[in-house]
Amino acid sequence: MRESVYVEKLTAFSALLRQEGLAVGLQETADACQILEELALTDRSAVRAALCAVYAKSRPEQEAFYRAFDSFFVSAEQRRANLARRAEEAAELERRKAQAEEELQVNGQPMDLRDDLREVYVRMPEEKREHLRQLMEKTKENMDRSPQLYSNFIRSVFMRFLLEQQMVMEDAAVGCESADPDLALLWKDISGFKDADIPRAAALIARITQQLNAELSRRRQRGGHSGGLDFKKTIRRGLETGGSFFRLSFRKKRKRRRMLVLLCDVSGSMLQFSEFALRFIKSMAEVSEASRTFLFSETLHEVDAFALQNMDAFRDYVRTSGLYGKGTDLGTALEQLCARRPPVLGPSATLLILSDTKTIDLPRALADLAQAKRQAGKVLWLNPIPERKWGYVRSIQTVSALCQMAPCSTLEELARACGRLMRQ
Amino acid sequence: MDVTTLRAKLDAAHYIYDESLVTTLLVALQLGRPLLIEGAAGVGKTEIAKVMAAALDRELVRLQCYEGLDESKALYEWNYQKQLLSIQAHMGAKTPDELTKSLFSDEYLLERPLLRSIRSEEPVVLLIDEIDKADEEFEAFLLELLSEMQVTIPEIGTIHARTVPFVVLTSNRTRPLSEALRRRCAYLYIQYPDLEKEVAIIQARRPNVNERLAVQVARAVQALRDNQAILKKPSIAETLDWVAALEALGLSDLTAEAAERTKGFVLKNSEDWAAMAGQPEGHRHCGGCGEGQ
Repeated sequence: MRESVYVEKLTAFSALLRQEGLAVGLQETADACQILEELALTDRSAVRAALCAVYAKSRPEQEAFYRAFDSFFVSAEQRRANLARRAEEAAELERRKAQAEEELQVNGQPMDLRDDLREVYVRMPEEKREHLRQLMEKTKENMDRSPQLYSNFIRSVFMRFLLEQQMVMEDAAVGCESADPDLALLWKDISGFKDADIPRAAALIARITQQLNAELSRRRQRGGHSGGLDFKKTIRRGLETGGSFFRLSFRKKRKRRRMLVLLCDVSGSMLQFSEFALRFIKSMAEVSEASRTFLFSETLHEVDAFALQNMDAFRDYVRTSGLYGKGTDLGTALEQLCARRPPVLGPSATLLILSDTKTIDLPRALADLAQAKRQAGKVLWLNPIPERKWGYVRSIQTVSALCQMAPCSTLEELARACGRLMRQ
Repeated sequence: MDVTTLRAKLDAAHYIYDESLVTTLLVALQLGRPLLIEGAAGVGKTEIAKVMAAALDRELVRLQCYEGLDESKALYEWNYQKQLLSIQAHMGAKTPDELTKSLFSDEYLLERPLLRSIRSEEPVVLLIDEIDKADEEFEAFLLELLSEMQVTIPEIGTIHARTVPFVVLTSNRTRPLSEALRRRCAYLYIQYPDLEKEVAIIQARRPNVNERLAVQVARAVQALRDNQAILKKPSIAETLDWVAALEALGLSDLTAEAAERTKGFVLKNSEDWAAMAGQPEGHRHCGGCGEGQ
């Protein structure tokens, strides 16, 4: 590397960028030095843009670069201001934690809580804190009867509530929302989507499926395309030109059609999930080549999924078809599906079930599932219940022993499951 | 080239730019690196290559990528039929060795865009458009060209660039590109233009349009892009088409009725039309109608 007045500073900056996760090598540092020397940029924003072009090679890297640049290249005055602000924020957090310690007194002693849980308490919405305070207030009269028992009880209630809150905050990608709303949506529980989230989620689905389709189409082409010379055809055509192989013929890729049978649970809380999952699966062009879609609650209905791509159309159909507001009877749905003539399921078919496994008459549903499994080549289950809760739901444990099950509580999980499904 | 010269050249090409774009172009030119441009469809990625060709007074050589693109379509191909005819014509007149040697010469080489760009006597601007649509193998093949400015043809050997092209790669991000390719490029991400820039683009491309209409259309397009329910966001080209359509109909105001008549130029699917119709009263026509007067 040429000796440059910028080397020292830019080397330190490169090290900072590496900490931020950017793949920065010596070449980038050398390029940055060259640019600053040769272009003699004086304007801060121009230097920022020039270094960004050298160091950052993707959109997320640009975001990381801007953060690093703004924290690294600051005036002494701004650095002091930043330090003061951070100290102020830390002091505020400590003050609120101390206040929480005063609020959460049991038997005159501060409640024994881990520091991270105390932080959760401080950060969660005021109404939730109020809910806990009221609970303490209501159960206070038990304190005199058995102080130790009361102390243990209230601590266990708090621990459970705060741990749940911690999990919810992580699930909801709290903090990430402001940085990248789409990313936050990707990790959010589908059943928790609000009306305002739906158009963004639909756009996100379109983008993800576009990427998945492009990736899969390429993979299939690589794997299946022979591209080899068709000798027979070439020789035959060569006869037209006196035996010279003037025009070569190549083999064409044989298209493989797959049969996918979708069975979507649209009862009660499953409605929103099924709409999203259906939209996702149907927008994957490779799958939709040959597929049939059935909706069920207590009865089974075959639908044209392309006509139901719109959320309103989907809900209207479910309401008018009489499926809405009914319970879940998986057994009946599977029985009707297996009994269809001509048969819907066959050795080349993959049955994809979208349901949370909560059904009436589970033993009958399991028997019918076993029957469907015998008829279909493969049975896959997409479950909107988060995987961490599977251990608590008996029907999930039973069903997952019978067929392959994938968690799909978020769009990210749904994308992953669909990607896996396509690759099989 | 310095900033002032580049700015002057972009101005001469009637290109509306911001400072970060000029700086990035300058960095790529100065380092002799390919420029990788990413952004949503229709933000003007391809246009940058065209403008740079005009600004640098170079020929634009374009390679449009697609699934299955291979070396024979991108780099070179032997003219098989011509070789076959030559064998038959010269059989007996030349020794087999001479004949074989002559068959793999420039005469039988069909140059494709990549080879053409590095064998050109004058430096060119090479546009590799929508690289994300090509396969990973093709990306790997490009590495040699982009880093060493040379390509290897087995029958001939390594061909070094006579002149170094200014390479522009564009991607719509339908798939992630490899780290190796990214590292060899300067990077630029283009977003949709803000209101001011969009008005400037309209006025630069459609000089006869009145300012009020330009502002109304730009505002309406901005509102449509901000509308989460619109799935296919209008591109800059669609903005210009919309203005052209309004002009062709002799309309000087983007009224509700005018927007309804010409909406097909800016929104290209029925769901988006429905979303536009579903906007609250007063914003029904994309938010810009009747404003900016």
